[in-house]
Amino acid sequence: MQGKIRAQLLKGTTPLLVLSVLRDGELYGYEIAQRIRDRSGGAFIPSEGALYPALHALEADGALQASWRESDRGPRRRYYKITSGGLAMLDEHAQEWATFSVAMGHAVGGSDR
Amino acid sequence: MIGLLVILAGLGVFVTATVAIVRRAEWRLRPGPRNTAGLASPSDDPVGSYVDRVAASLALPAADVRDVRAELLDHLGDSIATLEDEGFSHDDAVREAVGRLGPAPELGRQLSAAHQSTRRLLAGAGGGVFAAAGGFVVGYLGGIGASLLMFIGAFLAAGLLAKVGFAPDLTGPDNGSTANSLLISMTIAVAAATSIRFAVRTSAGLSRRAPKTVAGFWALAGVVVFGWLAIFGVSGQQSWYSIPIELAVPFIAVAAAFCRIDRPMPHIARWAIASFAVLVIVTVAVLGMATQTTTGSDAGAFNGPEPDMHFDLVAAPAPAAWLGEGDLSDSGSSEATGSFGTTFSIDLSRGASANWHDLRFEAWHGLPNGDGIDTRYTAAFLIQPVSSEDSTLTATLHFERIRQPGSWWVFLTGVGPDGRRYSLDNSGGGTSTFNGSAWDWITAPQ
Repeated sequence: MQGKIRAQLLKGTTPLLVLSVLRDGELYGYEIAQRIRDRSGGAFIPSEGALYPALHALEADGALQASWRESDRGPRRRYYKITSGGLAMLDEHAQEWATFSVAMGHAVGGSDR
Repeated sequence: MIGLLVILAGLGVFVTATVAIVRRAEWRLRPGPRNTAGLASPSDDPVGSYVDRVAASLALPAADVRDVRAELLDHLGDSIATLEDEGFSHDDAVREAVGRLGPAPELGRQLSAAHQSTRRLLAGAGGGVFAAAGGFVVGYLGGIGASLLMFIGAFLAAGLLAKVGFAPDLTGPDNGSTANSLLISMTIAVAAATSIRFAVRTSAGLSRRAPKTVAGFWALAGVVVFGWLAIFGVSGQQSWYSIPIELAVPFIAVAAAFCRIDRPMPHIARWAIASFAVLVIVTVAVLGMATQTTTGSDAGAFNGPEPDMHFDLVAAPAPAAWLGEGDLSDSGSSEATGSFGTTFSIDLSRGASANWHDLRFEAWHGLPNGDGIDTRYTAAFLIQPVSSEDSTLTATLHFERIRQPGSWWVFLTGVGPDGRRYSLDNSGGGTSTFNGSAWDWITAPQ
């Protein structure tokens, strides 16, 4: 039940989480999922099925830039780097999220402003 | 001269930009070797099978499909290794890793949608239009070059045949109509094919859609634009050899959009295109200047009539008494007005006009070189009633709308007081060629 609620709450936040972890440097897909999980202390585990469509959509919108690099495991890996447009998008999403979470806290907590 | 140089430079920049944008889009459509190493996925392996099913549901260019395959295989490899470290057996780890990515068709659908953003769609549409325009220029120059090569081959063949005693006349019989019409029609056909090919490949690459997905749109656009251009839009000399090519242009556009559209276009170096363009432009300019005075649909007058010209086939000469001595001011005049017809006028006094009715100009087929009426014909091929203003009788004959006017003679005829038609005057002869669109040729009254 708890997992389902979390999945519902995570819907729509994948781009924000992806942009947030990529602000610190280039990562490949699996690393991005791991980094999100680690940063949230295991609270957020993005759906892997939603991760790649989100990454590719952000790339199509110009927020990310992808490039193939050699990996120590054999085949090449696709690394993602945030662009200046992506940083602007991250700021915008973060502000919206802050406003949203405060309002949600008030609404759920029942306290008047 | 400066204007010509500016035009040539602009054309060169446009063609170069077109080649650059097409190449950029083509890169997305080529599978390329960079993603293939080590990525072969046996379909009997659950991981490979899953990735194959995702790839099968992607409506993307080949390079994007390869990228997605490689990325998913890499992800699943990492995911399985981590799960095994956490204590999963290999089979359970594979099942869990694949399960976390969700159903293959759904993932494929979401990935396709993610790639095909509105921004890329607009880029594909804009790039496609640009590539279509540039492809038309490239194809136009290529078509002229191909036609010139064909003509050079034909003349070489004629030269060889002449050596063995058979000398075909490649230009004489129709004033070059066949050659010119073939040049125009082949040029349009090659330009249409190149334009549509460029547009489909560029649109697909920039919009991240499979070439066959965008081919339908460009095929329709090609049929409408180039079909109209070839059949109705381009006026010039026509022949029975050029008409089938022009009618086939809409089908050529469809074939160019669909036939083997997934295969890369042949690579042609920019310097080769630029050199070829300059060669074609210079050749056409030189040929154009050399033939300026001998081509076209304008009427060219023969010298005056000679004995045994068979003018009596037209009608009996009008009795002088019904013309009135000196009433017919001269033998007539003709004014070439290009594709708008050739106007003839004659002065006939009011007194003489009263003797005649149903006055008209008649054009009869003539023999080559102005050697009189072609006796194979027993009727005029073009008849136009006169209109009169004061004493001047005028009529405009549209030779340019007759399929094979060739040589002609024009006569003023009328019905005399005895009810018989007579020839009042020979207004001279000349040669003309058809000048109109393919549709004009098809619907020409002959």
